[in-house]
Amino acid sequence: MIVRTNITKKVARLTITVATCAIAVGYAAAFMRGGTPSWAPWLLAFGIPGALGGIMVLGAARERGGVGALALPFAFVIVTLTVGFCLALGLPSNEGANSTLWLGLPLRAAIVVYGIGLLPVVVLPVAYALTFRTQTLTAEDVERVRQMGRLRVAQAEAEGSRSSNEEAGSL
Amino acid sequence: MTSSGLIGLGLLQAALPRIAQPQVIAVGVAYFTVIIGISIWASRRTKTASDFFVAGHGIGLVALTVASVSTSVSGFAFIGGPGLIYAVGLGAMFIVLPASVTNVMGAWVLAKRMRLLGEARGLMTVPDAIGARYRSRAAQGLSGLAILVGIVGYMATNALAMGVVINAIFGVGLGWGIWLGMSVTLAYSVAGGILAGIYNDVFQGTLMAVASLLVFIFILDVGGGLGHISRTILTTDPKFLAPWGKLTPLAVLSFFFVFAMGSLGQPQGVHKYYMLKDPLQLKWYPLLKTLGLVLVLLLYFSVGVGVKAFVTDGRMPPLSAPDQATPSLLLNITPLLLAALVFSGVAAATMSAVNSFINIGAAVVTHDLPIAFGRRARNELAWGRGATVVIAILAALIAQHSGSMVAFLGIFGWGLFASTLVPALAVGLNWEGATRAGALTSIATGLVVTLSLETASYFKVFTFPAGVTASAVALVLSLLTFFAISWITRSSAAASIDPDVRLIMDM
Repeated sequence: MIVRTNITKKVARLTITVATCAIAVGYAAAFMRGGTPSWAPWLLAFGIPGALGGIMVLGAARERGGVGALALPFAFVIVTLTVGFCLALGLPSNEGANSTLWLGLPLRAAIVVYGIGLLPVVVLPVAYALTFRTQTLTAEDVERVRQMGRLRVAQAEAEGSRSSNEEAGSL
Repeated sequence: MTSSGLIGLGLLQAALPRIAQPQVIAVGVAYFTVIIGISIWASRRTKTASDFFVAGHGIGLVALTVASVSTSVSGFAFIGGPGLIYAVGLGAMFIVLPASVTNVMGAWVLAKRMRLLGEARGLMTVPDAIGARYRSRAAQGLSGLAILVGIVGYMATNALAMGVVINAIFGVGLGWGIWLGMSVTLAYSVAGGILAGIYNDVFQGTLMAVASLLVFIFILDVGGGLGHISRTILTTDPKFLAPWGKLTPLAVLSFFFVFAMGSLGQPQGVHKYYMLKDPLQLKWYPLLKTLGLVLVLLLYFSVGVGVKAFVTDGRMPPLSAPDQATPSLLLNITPLLLAALVFSGVAAATMSAVNSFINIGAAVVTHDLPIAFGRRARNELAWGRGATVVIAILAALIAQHSGSMVAFLGIFGWGLFASTLVPALAVGLNWEGATRAGALTSIATGLVVTLSLETASYFKVFTFPAGVTASAVALVLSLLTFFAISWITRSSAAASIDPDVRLIMDM
């Protein structure tokens, strides 16, 4: 038997692998003699959204067809996390008594708390619910699985009775 | 996000002050009365091993969601977490920020497939799913062993945390606190199994959410709004409100990675997918759970930041230790009744975590390990109840007698579950090319690397550079091992999947 390939899942797996390698290099760099180089956190800033986005796509993609309408929310979340991490790393650290506050927090803190912590909450679970029937599960899917389960039980019972008959015959 | 190990550490260090006053004791007694009432009701409905371990696959959406929030959050969000924010600033938020993606990620990656595996095969445990996916008793046994090792630490730290909280409320002493809390939890775990656990979690989760929301509103009100609180902090300690706080960017991003990706391997959350009555109800599960978590985590953020501001402007005395943030706020600023409610919430969090881990541990001992050795317990319900008692007593004894070692045991629980289960379970259930060899090697890698690095680090054989943790290294290594070995042994991939499992993976 040959393992079937699904291009969406293949890309997702590749993304997870590359992102995990980037994270591994980021950690390995921390062991360098001069201390953690300044580029190491950037590898995590790109690697983490890649790994999380990749595994979400891997889970959501059905074997026949990709992620359908979910492509947009996935892209949104990956971009939100990446941009959030990169802004937190890249913007100047100028928090002080006179900082402008955004919803009660200095800019970089607001990006982290509201951008990374709250924006995905508004998008992802709603996208999951709205695409549930087309992308995740239908009553027909559940019935197919139940039928498969019943078939499996029937086969196991048939095999059980066959083997007990054979045992009786051999006795 | 949820690290019961961290809870234990938090509560260990906090050594909560005694608040044994009539109002507090009254709330505590009322809390335990409700727990006992729910447990008696649940015990009458527990008749089979399936009832005991997965509530007969019959829990409704709202009950399962609240119970799942309750199990996920645990006492760390109430004590250790706010203390960590107080100590290191906003960087500690990166432990809970992954909650914005983890619930829906878990739904896409695991919920549907695990629930359908439960439908097709009547599976009950996380190792069951791994065993079914790879047609491998060895993989089921090895993952069960990893879970059991992780549970020892979780259970002991939570038992100790429970003792600390009960001692604070009733003033009975730490030893009696441990045994009193464990006895109540044990009673409902043995009698009603996970069914009692779920409905107690519903009550406990509601209590936590109410307590968290009230504290959040109270702090914003007393502090003059978030803007005023921020201004107070920025005048003296601007680094506190920098995105990484006083930690390094690598350390903070590492929190996010381990707590986000690691959430897919936490058995106390993942095995709840089996329990949902109707698989189609999964539609609203991530939304409800995420909203519930956001509500419960309001306290985590508001207490950490609020106490920092109150200490800065002199409304509260400086803390003797960071973990005193919540207790000190409750005793100095909030009304006593609200304090009692929050302390009951902490007790609720630790008890729900203990119950969940007892149940998972008992399932490993009576179900997964016997299957791995080709045997099956004749009466899994009776054996499950027996194992529950043994595990609970063992955890209480470790909590009482192992000294500082209990903190060490608690540290690696989250990381161990993540590194041993995420590749084989979360990736494996979604990739037909994953192989039995890949799964076995990744589980073994996670187990060995986590245990050896945590042990070496604890005994100071070496020190990790800032930002690198054993959990993160083990998770990365087990993921890469899983992909590499599966690729090397890819010719055997298709043969290791049963038709019904393949159908579920294709959906």
